Amino acid sequence: MELVVRFFLLIGGFLYYQKKSPQWSLCINSVTVYSNHFLFCPIKFLKMNAIIAVCHFCELHGPRIVFCTQPFHPQEPRTVDDDDALSDVSSGHMHCRSKTAHRGSFSSTDSAAVTSMKTDLCEGCYSVKTGFVSHDDEGPISYVSSQHPHHPKVFSMVRQACLRSLSCEVCPGREGPIFFGDKQQGNVLSYTFYIQDNQARGFKRWYSIIIVMMDKVYLLNSWSFLVPNLQLVIKQLQTKAEKVYTEEQARCPQKGYRDSIYPANFRFQRGGNKPARSLKELTDEKHIFKMLHMYFVWILKACVNRTTETSLEAPPTEDAILDTERLEETEEGFIKLYMRKSSPDLENAEMESSEPNPNIPMFHNLQHLMQVLGYLNFHTVAHHTIIGNQLIVKGAQKQLVKSMLDVLKGLLPKGCCKTISYSDKYEDSWRCNFLGLPLEIALPYHILGSEQFLLMEIICPNDKRDDLNMYEFKISSQITLPDKAPKVLTQMELALRNTNLNYEVIEQCLICLKEEWMNKVKVLFKFTKAGGCRSDEDTKKLLQVVGAKDEDKQLLKFWMTGLSVQYRNHILSTSMTHNMAAS
Amino acid sequence: MSAIKVKSYEDEAGGDFMVGSFQDFGYGTVDQENEAVGSSSDEKPRILLMGLRRSGKSSIQKVVFHKVSPNETLFLESTNKIVKDDISNSSFVQFQVWDLPGHIDFFDATFDAVKIFGGCGALIFVIDAQDDYVEALDKLNMTVTRAHKINQDIKFEVFIHKVDGLSDDQKIESQRDIHQRANDDLVDAGFEGIYLSFYLTSIYDHSIFEAFSKVVQKLIPQLPTLENLLNMLISNSGIEKAFLFDVVSKIYIATDSSPVDMQSYELCCDMIDVVLDISCIYGLQDDNELNAFDDKSASIIKLNNTTVLYLREVNKYLALVCILREDNFVKQGIINYNFLCFRKAIQEVFEVRQKMLAARMENGTDHQNETLKTLSPPPPASKEEKKKSPLAQPLSSFCDHVWLS
Repeated sequence: MELVVRFFLLIGGFLYYQKKSPQWSLCINSVTVYSNHFLFCPIKFLKMNAIIAVCHFCELHGPRIVFCTQPFHPQEPRTVDDDDALSDVSSGHMHCRSKTAHRGSFSSTDSAAVTSMKTDLCEGCYSVKTGFVSHDDEGPISYVSSQHPHHPKVFSMVRQACLRSLSCEVCPGREGPIFFGDKQQGNVLSYTFYIQDNQARGFKRWYSIIIVMMDKVYLLNSWSFLVPNLQLVIKQLQTKAEKVYTEEQARCPQKGYRDSIYPANFRFQRGGNKPARSLKELTDEKHIFKMLHMYFVWILKACVNRTTETSLEAPPTEDAILDTERLEETEEGFIKLYMRKSSPDLENAEMESSEPNPNIPMFHNLQHLMQVLGYLNFHTVAHHTIIGNQLIVKGAQKQLVKSMLDVLKGLLPKGCCKTISYSDKYEDSWRCNFLGLPLEIALPYHILGSEQFLLMEIICPNDKRDDLNMYEFKISSQITLPDKAPKVLTQMELALRNTNLNYEVIEQCLICLKEEWMNKVKVLFKFTKAGGCRSDEDTKKLLQVVGAKDEDKQLLKFWMTGLSVQYRNHILSTSMTHNMAAS
Repeated sequence: MSAIKVKSYEDEAGGDFMVGSFQDFGYGTVDQENEAVGSSSDEKPRILLMGLRRSGKSSIQKVVFHKVSPNETLFLESTNKIVKDDISNSSFVQFQVWDLPGHIDFFDATFDAVKIFGGCGALIFVIDAQDDYVEALDKLNMTVTRAHKINQDIKFEVFIHKVDGLSDDQKIESQRDIHQRANDDLVDAGFEGIYLSFYLTSIYDHSIFEAFSKVVQKLIPQLPTLENLLNMLISNSGIEKAFLFDVVSKIYIATDSSPVDMQSYELCCDMIDVVLDISCIYGLQDDNELNAFDDKSASIIKLNNTTVLYLREVNKYLALVCILREDNFVKQGIINYNFLCFRKAIQEVFEVRQKMLAARMENGTDHQNETLKTLSPPPPASKEEKKKSPLAQPLSSFCDHVWLS
């Protein structure tokens, strides 16, 4: 039977499924980063990164693989010895799977023992005939569940891991997670557990869920994620089985029966019980393997999404560190992304995902903004932005306002941007330095009098709304800017005015400039926080050394607020130890 | 009441049933880590329990070495990994019992068969006599031939098990049949030289203890000496039958050369139980005392058929149990004196082994032995003694005590 499963993952891993949908999609709230084939490189020819398998100590056959789920990356180049099944997965023709499964089990590479293991199945070892597949279109990865891995090398690895997990490795307390493995046979996280069975010897049957990976470091780092999730799965199985067990126990109490005064009775009948029972029967759940498939797919996918691997070409920029700081806070659960109170981005999270309206014009980048506003206006806006004055953009179209703010954010290091992209009331400048408002909102009187802000009103033309050049941009500000702009702005504008360059190059250039000045900010921060009395004279000298002038001072002060927590803590702690050592 | 607290991982999970007063009175299970550290495990011969699944391997191990009541074995789980029991309680009986799950083929390339069978002294193959044993015989043949290739010194013992359900005729018939077929198979496979011993066993009577005793005795190099000592003892003291028992497992290490009568063996086993139970209840001075069996343990039971059972402690783990006529028990002083001679001789045999071990270590180049060295008593002072091979020592040296009769 061919089954393609569609399911949604709801918050907290709760899931349900629906049969026979042509495609499936996976929605995990707010997790945006997808990385497919970065983690597990060493044995590309095996086309696997991680395999989850359910193993069972079968009463008839000993340790056996019952069910396994593995991801396939169809875009990888195929090698000659690949199983045909892989190509089927990649092209999505899952209907041929039963045929290929057969071919796989009789291929010449299989040893006799392996063939017998694949064909000689009793009720206890058997799970699914063909298996299940789930396609992740975003990936694109296909997750395939079957009785055994089809690739002979993968099969022998998983088989070995299964054997060790159930019949060799000793887990303290018998139930629980253990790690073992080596470079050749892969690294294995094995969670051993039992399922109660009224008819089994000792009233329980031993199972284990194993996760086989080549990457030891990655597997061990995922321990904190994998183990609690495996526990959830196992708990489910055990609860279901316990229910069945209690029912059966009530119906025919084996213990009393076996315990009767004439144990001979029992012995001569030899129990009369089936030696092996399937997981379906033990849990009284027809779809148990479908459910396991979904659990495992989720675990495989979520485990990958937990961490992203970026190749480091240089030390991480301040922005990158800030990004990771935000991510770290989401460790508990993925929905917490951008939950930090100081960053109001969350409020706009759902807006960001909505499709842009093609009828309303948008700003694409800083260069585009400069063209539309004209150089002088742009300069004023940029100058205000870069020294930390609040920028209030009023406009009727949310999308336009938002795009303008987004583009302008590119001028500042990420840590300095506090954005409320479209609010229905005025927000104070300590809450945000980028504020979007509808046209009709008036600024409070006291703000108009005292606050340092730049107000930009976008007046929409009556016709030709899709042409940006028809829009009117009114700029007004209470404060007069110093004549001389900070040096970094001059440099940025120089880059932006160079029309010969590709915008990507300009973007890189801006990043470099920001990073350069961020480093100066760091020097200054260290200088001010490292203790000791600092006279104006000293400060001036320092500024001279880093190549900053008076006009840059305001900028440096503002950018200091954008330093990452990590860096601040580091500086503060080191300066503290320094001071202590000095005293 | 207290008992020796022994933890083994098999026991932890098997908490579903009560085993009785002796639940914890047994041997521990070897930690696999410890095994890697001490080379002492190399010294201990291994007894492997093999056979098809459900043939009763774990039950045998539980009943013989863990005092589990036979009925409780119905609730044992199937064994999924090798369970190792370390039996190293006396100077003579130092071995490990490995219970191998029947589901797994240990000759598979996945396992290091040399490691498993290399240090193996005896391989017990358990056949379920109540089941169709054709498959078991195939497995037996395969196991014996392969294990023999790896280690020629393995003694092969076949337990025709669960015979409690068979009539006497059936027992004899199945033993004959299994014996015949197994040997024929070996001859067909070209292994005429392998000798298989067959035993009819059941955990519901003492046959399993008797069979295990015989298996263990084959692994004791000092057996002839011990038998000789026992012979001297009974001939000089007017004793009819004497057994040297391992108290915990109730397997007998040695007996005199007169034939063993199953009934008298059972009688002696039961006597040990009685003595231990009584000592556990009344003999412990304080709760911290772990072992009820000590050097003052002794007991006399007079039966109404003019037979006397006499038990004396030999060392911490061994007891001598004698059966004698009431008329001969009149001269109890002589018997006691002879017993003291016997005990002294046994201790000397024990010392020789200690010396041998120590000497081997002193000469030894094996660095692994270092851990063991610190644990064992200091090596002998005299160089002459060291040169003597312990087994080559004349028997008379143990027997030069004056026996009274």
